[in-house]
Amino acid sequence: MTAAAPMPKHPPDTAPKTGARLVVEALDNLGVEIVFGYPGGAIMPVYDAITSARFKHILVRHEQAAAFAADAYARVTGKPGVCMATSGPGATNLITGIANAMMDSVPLIAITGNVSSPLMGTDAFQEIDILGATLPMVKHSWIVRDPADIPAIFEDAFRIATSGRPGPVLIDLPKDVQVGLAAAPAPAPRASAPAQRIDPAQLRRAESAISSAQRPLLYIGGGVRIAGATDEVRAFAHHTHIPAVCTLQGLGVLPTDWPTALGMMGMHGTRAANEAVQACDLLIVLGARFDDRATGKLSTFAPHARVIHIDVDAAEIGKLRAADVAITADLKSAVAQLSPRPPEIDAWIADCAEAKRAHAFRYDAPGDGVYAPALLKELSERAGDKFVAACDVGQHQMWVAQHCSFSAPQAHLTSGGLGAMGYGLPAGMGAKLAQPDAHVVTISGDGSFIMNIQELATLRRYNIALKIVLLDNASLGLVRQWQELFFDRNFSEIDLSDNPDFAAVAQAFGIEAFRISRREEVGPGIERLLAAKGPCLAHVLIDAKENVWPLVPPGKSNSEMMHGEP
Amino acid sequence: MKDVFHIQIDRAEGSLQRLIGLIERRGFHIDGMSVSDAGTHREVRITVRERDAGRCTQVLGRQIDRIVGARRIASPPVAVRVEDVAPCPV
Repeated sequence: MTAAAPMPKHPPDTAPKTGARLVVEALDNLGVEIVFGYPGGAIMPVYDAITSARFKHILVRHEQAAAFAADAYARVTGKPGVCMATSGPGATNLITGIANAMMDSVPLIAITGNVSSPLMGTDAFQEIDILGATLPMVKHSWIVRDPADIPAIFEDAFRIATSGRPGPVLIDLPKDVQVGLAAAPAPAPRASAPAQRIDPAQLRRAESAISSAQRPLLYIGGGVRIAGATDEVRAFAHHTHIPAVCTLQGLGVLPTDWPTALGMMGMHGTRAANEAVQACDLLIVLGARFDDRATGKLSTFAPHARVIHIDVDAAEIGKLRAADVAITADLKSAVAQLSPRPPEIDAWIADCAEAKRAHAFRYDAPGDGVYAPALLKELSERAGDKFVAACDVGQHQMWVAQHCSFSAPQAHLTSGGLGAMGYGLPAGMGAKLAQPDAHVVTISGDGSFIMNIQELATLRRYNIALKIVLLDNASLGLVRQWQELFFDRNFSEIDLSDNPDFAAVAQAFGIEAFRISRREEVGPGIERLLAAKGPCLAHVLIDAKENVWPLVPPGKSNSEMMHGEP
Repeated sequence: MKDVFHIQIDRAEGSLQRLIGLIERRGFHIDGMSVSDAGTHREVRITVRERDAGRCTQVLGRQIDRIVGARRIASPPVAVRVEDVAPCPV
């Protein structure tokens, strides 16, 4: 790391300030617009200083929601999301959100207060070793020991969180550091790390492999969105006509209606996508990490394929699957430089197109109850290019991935790696604040929604016009499905039939809400939801026995898909 | 099979814990370790052994490289185990 020559626009401000003041100034100077947080004893000096901040503070009702909201804000804007909490339980409540950001490579800045330095290590009230507790799930972390270090640490934190493969960082602020005085002018900007040099020989090897392949396939992951390489990947796919599959996080890189896009691969992927992976002779992996939910049984995954793996993170290369051509580089730059002679693959393209046609999802489910996949398809189509889905975790999450249309990867926010129930509502909040003009819709289930239901109060307080589709099957649907299929129908602890009346609960929070349960109510319900000026919840009763199809059983090959009837 | 990593780490709070934790979390036993003070940084020699088949010291080395403030100054030889461990290709 090289420090650039300082070029201050103004004389350095050397007046002593408290650490808390330096924290607020650092956040302002780094361009932060929103901080999600919750005050408490050990962070009170910062909250005292925050009243004069330029950034807006959103008071959530649980620290986990602060982390999730900041995570979604970051995914939508590409800028770091910032969350803040006090020591002890405030800090530990952030942990799930920090882990979520780590698993999905999200630039998150988590700021925690801590007890004063002399008390650290004495089991003081609300003391927890949050630095130690979060070591496995942060890109980097600090305990600030001197208030004079605050400006430089914050600048480093933002740079580390956003550079290379993004991730969460944690800054722990003992109380004495927050109240201590220091003269600490804003640090000189640091020079950016030099761009990774792409080995031209590897690029030529990749191009040669692509041009000579008979059945090449693009395997698009979340790294494409993170790298801002959507346009480059679309141009490459257009130039080569190579069919494409994507991971859960890669949805939207190619629009859903892209002619050669086969949809999501893996456990709940499309049959066309999984068949293409199993048949291909060259897999071009762009910003993906061979996650087990995508690959199924790894030893049988893409058995005939050579692999070109392009990723900014060298540690992902060869971690789970050997790469015949490995390119460690920024995807945007690497894909832009790839210019192979388009392969002659008309027969392969036709095979993929036929599989896509033959195995297209059906929406003609019998009965007059609400069929969730059809509702979600209609919802995304009506919302159009402004649609942003903030999902929770469970059956509804997979239905969103399968049936919604996405025009950009930023339009699909989901807890992919961690699979954290409770993500949807606070994530929707963060996304709506980041993109006020979008149709941001939290799509949740009755199990997930109640995990952060308190954030309805935050929606009301700030009048955040988030729309919520709550698919209520009165059970933990995905667990129930697995118990039905893989545990001999021994249903254990999945019944949620004593759920509250969610519409009434929302109304008690001051949120517009309504309930639908019949198919003919879906269209008017979507219309009402999207037209609402403020936050609005649609409580949708669905069949408790509905399953997500298709499904690759856990531990099985992607070639062993199970299918059910809609 | 044992391999030895020789790593410089910053003299920063948690840096040693960060390194050791990563190695164990990624599926390796630590069979030996020495830490010495080298002025502005610390030098660490760690002998590691994989917990099960499918772990690869080369991938571990690249994961160590991701730690902010850690630098490998000697890695396992390039030839180590590539032929023995399927998912260790590069």
